[in-house]
Amino acid sequence: MTEIKLSKYLSLFKEVSIAPLIIFRIIFGVLMFLGTIRFISKGWIEQLYIDPDYYFGYLGFEWIRPLEGQLMYLPFLLLLISPLFILLGFLYRVSSITFFICFTYIELLDKSNYLNHYYFVSLIALIMIFLPAHRNFSIDTKIWPKIKTVSTKQWTISLIKLQLAIVYIFAGIAKLNSDWLIHAKPLKIWIQAHHNIPFIGPLMQQEWLAYLFSWTGCCYDLFIVFFLLSNRSRPIAYLFVIVFHLLTWYLFPIGVFPWVMIFSTLIFFSPKFHERILNLLSRSNWKKNVIENIKLSHTRKKIIISLLTLYIAIQIIIPFRHVLYPGNLFWNEEGFRFSWRVMIMHKVGLATFYMVDPKTGRESEINNSKFLTRTQEGQMATQPDMILQYAQILKNYHHGKTFHYGNQKFLIENPEIRAKIYVSVNGRPSQLFVDKKHDLTKLEYNLSHRTWLEPFNK
Amino acid sequence: MRVKRTIRVYLSLAILLLLNFSCKKDCDEVQPAFSKAVLLENVADNIILPALNDFESTLSSLESSFFTLQTDPNQESLNAVRANWKASYMQWQMVKIFDFGPIRTNGFKGAVGTYPTDTVRVNSNIINGGYNLSTADNADAIGFSALDFLLYRNDALIDFISNEEYFQYTLDVIQKMKNEFALVKSQWSTYNSTFIAGTGTESTSSFSLLVNEFNRDYELAKNGKLGIPIGAGTLGIQLPEYIEARNSGISLELLQESMRALRIVYMGNNSGSGLGFYDYLVDLEKSSLASTIDANFNQIINTVETFNGSLESEMGSNVSGLNELYNLVQSQVVNIKTDMTSSFGVLITYQDNDGD
Repeated sequence: MTEIKLSKYLSLFKEVSIAPLIIFRIIFGVLMFLGTIRFISKGWIEQLYIDPDYYFGYLGFEWIRPLEGQLMYLPFLLLLISPLFILLGFLYRVSSITFFICFTYIELLDKSNYLNHYYFVSLIALIMIFLPAHRNFSIDTKIWPKIKTVSTKQWTISLIKLQLAIVYIFAGIAKLNSDWLIHAKPLKIWIQAHHNIPFIGPLMQQEWLAYLFSWTGCCYDLFIVFFLLSNRSRPIAYLFVIVFHLLTWYLFPIGVFPWVMIFSTLIFFSPKFHERILNLLSRSNWKKNVIENIKLSHTRKKIIISLLTLYIAIQIIIPFRHVLYPGNLFWNEEGFRFSWRVMIMHKVGLATFYMVDPKTGRESEINNSKFLTRTQEGQMATQPDMILQYAQILKNYHHGKTFHYGNQKFLIENPEIRAKIYVSVNGRPSQLFVDKKHDLTKLEYNLSHRTWLEPFNK
Repeated sequence: MRVKRTIRVYLSLAILLLLNFSCKKDCDEVQPAFSKAVLLENVADNIILPALNDFESTLSSLESSFFTLQTDPNQESLNAVRANWKASYMQWQMVKIFDFGPIRTNGFKGAVGTYPTDTVRVNSNIINGGYNLSTADNADAIGFSALDFLLYRNDALIDFISNEEYFQYTLDVIQKMKNEFALVKSQWSTYNSTFIAGTGTESTSSFSLLVNEFNRDYELAKNGKLGIPIGAGTLGIQLPEYIEARNSGISLELLQESMRALRIVYMGNNSGSGLGFYDYLVDLEKSSLASTIDANFNQIINTVETFNGSLESEMGSNVSGLNELYNLVQSQVVNIKTDMTSSFGVLITYQDNDGD
């Protein structure tokens, strides 16, 4: 079997120290716990999942709805407890499944809140379910001593490295565009806004700095993984990781993501490094170099290889799916999400919607703030799929209702929803994005190419 | 060593890029770098503080002229009160832009600037007495709009003379504004340094607040002062009961003053010599956008000038003129909210959220 040969070549089933996995589990638990505390303390549960009247679900997942009112705190409570359990290695499978389900559930509620790093956390959480990260240094091994082991199969660690590699490399590939490389946009817009920070403020207005950041950022994303993989360059590469992510943390509002990346990339370090940390943590000696040789059956190996292949294939195909669509990716956003296009675009829009009564031909300008939160409105104004979803929200709101204005009555049935939308991409003057000529309620929301957007002029 | 070589390559690449780009544009044209710190200082010292001072004195004049009306109850005294009310209301058009810091924390914008007024509520307060003007229920029974009703009713003078409760209610409304503003102003003297220091990019920084509130105030003026009354949101059916300052009929003047105030903030001051958003845009090499916004403000201000009557009378006689004016005001939104704001790298949001 060629698959098995390849797996031998990649040493997928080689027994290696489980220490890196243990450290990764602990780090993941700590960061997710702190991340949830941060989320709750900022009042985002209310703001994002209780206050809004409407939510923008993902295509095919619109049936996923927030829980009623204060019940919405429940999944967040679980997001607080499950990382602690993961960190302690207590009821690990149940905890990691709980964490994955709660986290992904919340992310699927409203695409207005989509962030690449949330998607990353969902994927890592999914992977963690299948890893034996609790089989040492855990409460589970105290309860069930039989599961304790000092080794794991190589693929369990390689998969995490590969996931990190995918994030970095695709983020790098995404930067290979003329706005980023030739015009240093959007960084030029973003970093000049920091021109009043102490000491280095005036530098931020220098054009060359935007170019330096753009190019080094692109090179960093494309190549850092390879330097992390090599034993010799790893220490210096990790220094770059720290500096790079601290810089992004300082300059941009990207929450816990820099910390997640700084700590996750520790997985690239050698087992010895991780064993040393565990020794420090436990003040006992990690049994060194005891390699258990657990034979996996041929069928199990085949299943693992198939699943890994499938997962990796999906991970590589999804970010490239945009090639199936004509037109500008930044403008049309067809195949934009789930592709590691991190901090790559400065897109701002102004959407004015109109409800037209087909019977009288009269129209009302819509006050968006009556229906959407500021975040939702901002996201909707630049994203075509959300524009269509909002049109449906407006149609459903008005349909069948009677409106009393002055001494007149209007029974609205099947209203047309039209919009005049202007969008600015990466600091260009805004251009017409959606023309008022379309009745947006008549347009299908699906994955096919959207021909109703106005063309993008460079 | 392979590693050292790769690092050397990396560093030299960085240096190469640095050399390559540093002299492409900047070396020949050395401009004084723009500073948001200077802009905020200018706005604080030369626009906000004078506006707060002027507003305070107009409120004092309003109160003292109202006392004069008490001692000397005649049409002339009432006219003086009305004139002071109008002067204060006009000054408010500038102050209301700065809905952050003490103005926000004290809920001052809502307390004085809510319109239209609930006349039923005002009347029942006067008749029943025992009112607490600070409750949410009374939010639209106070402020400039309530005074528009109280001062400009047909039998206002008669009531001021003969109806003690009517007089007292009006006085309470005036003093509430004056007292609350005294608090706002005293707090502002502390807040001022915070405001000037807030040059960051986070959504809670003063610069972001200023940009956001500038936009919000513009849109509020567009909708409240014009759009809603002329029926932009109600299938073209006019809603005269939503006209701001309907009794006095000064709504178009208020609209014009509001646009003037916004323009002053935009330009950095009246003559354009202080640093404002305009100068920031110019510094970002967006001169044409900078001028377009200024030109649009001027065009709006001049267009309002061409209307002779009150908004209510124009709504009867000049619907198309008002629609044109509305479209003009509307067309400016994209310039300031999308193009200008995105150039500054400021996000239009009140939410301190993560980006990616």
